[in-house]
Amino acid sequence: MFFFWFLDSLMVKAYKQEHVYKHPWERVSAASWRKFADPENKRILSHILEVDTLNRKLDTDTGKLHTTRALTIHAPGPWFLHRIIGQDICHCVESTVVDGKSRSMQLTTKNITLKKFIEVEERIRYDPHPENPSAWTVCSQETSIRIKPLSALASMAEKVEQKCAEKFMQNSVKGREVMERICRYMEAESAPV
Amino acid sequence: MGLLKKKDSTSTRSSTSPCADLRTAYHNCFNKWYSEKFVKGQWDKEECVAEWNKYRDCLSENLDGKILTRMLEVDSELNPTKQADSKESSR
Repeated sequence: MFFFWFLDSLMVKAYKQEHVYKHPWERVSAASWRKFADPENKRILSHILEVDTLNRKLDTDTGKLHTTRALTIHAPGPWFLHRIIGQDICHCVESTVVDGKSRSMQLTTKNITLKKFIEVEERIRYDPHPENPSAWTVCSQETSIRIKPLSALASMAEKVEQKCAEKFMQNSVKGREVMERICRYMEAESAPV
Repeated sequence: MGLLKKKDSTSTRSSTSPCADLRTAYHNCFNKWYSEKFVKGQWDKEECVAEWNKYRDCLSENLDGKILTRMLEVDSELNPTKQADSKESSR
C-alpha cells in the first residue's frame, strides 16, 4: 500500500503562476467571462471550440454567483497519446464562484475526457491587488496534472505530464494576452469622451 | 460536435451548435448585467431569465446525455454543497 501511495504522490505535478493586471477587479472579472467568446480573440484561443453555460445560480442574499460551464477543447496530443486516446476533443467542466461582496472570483476547471487516465485541474483566482486594491488585480493560477497510477499512461507519466504542462503554459500565455486586450478595450469603452 | 448528440462521428471543427444564437443572446445579456449591475453591488434579483430559459431548453434538447451526466458528476465533485441547488434549478 505504501508503495502505491509513494508512486501516486510522484505522479502529481503542480504549476503556479501569478500575473498582475493593472486594471480594477470589476473589469478583469468581466473580461474573464468574455475571454472565450470574444470574436477578435477567437483566433488566438482557437483551441477552444465551444463554451456552453450549463447552470447558473445567483444568491441574492450573499451576492455570490455560481456558474457551471462546459468547455470543448481541441487538444491534439503527441503521437503516443493519440494512439491510446484516439480523439482530439477534450471536454472540461469549469465551475466558477464570484463573490461580489469580497470582490473575489474563483474558477476551477477539470477534464471529463480521459478522467480514468489523467486528471488535470486548473484553479484561477482573481482578487484585488493588496497594494492597490481599487486599481489592480492579482491573478493566481495553479494547474495540477495527475496521471492515474497503474493506468495505460503510467509508464510514460513523466513525458505526458511534461507535454501537458508545456501546452498549458502556452495556453496560459495566450489567455493572458486575450485578457489584457479585453481589459484595454473595456477601459477605452468606459473612458469619458 | 462538442456537447451535442452525435449524428456524424467525424464531425469537423467548423460545425456550429444549433443553440449558438440563443447562447450568444444569453451570454451578451449576462455580460451586460455582470458589468453594469452585479459588480456595482446590484445582485438583488436574477436577470436574463428569458434568454437563459430559451438557451437552456435548446441545450436540453440537443445535449449528449452521456457527456452531460459526466459533466454534472465532476461539477458536483467541485461543488459538493451546491449539488442540491443545481438539481433544483435544472428542472
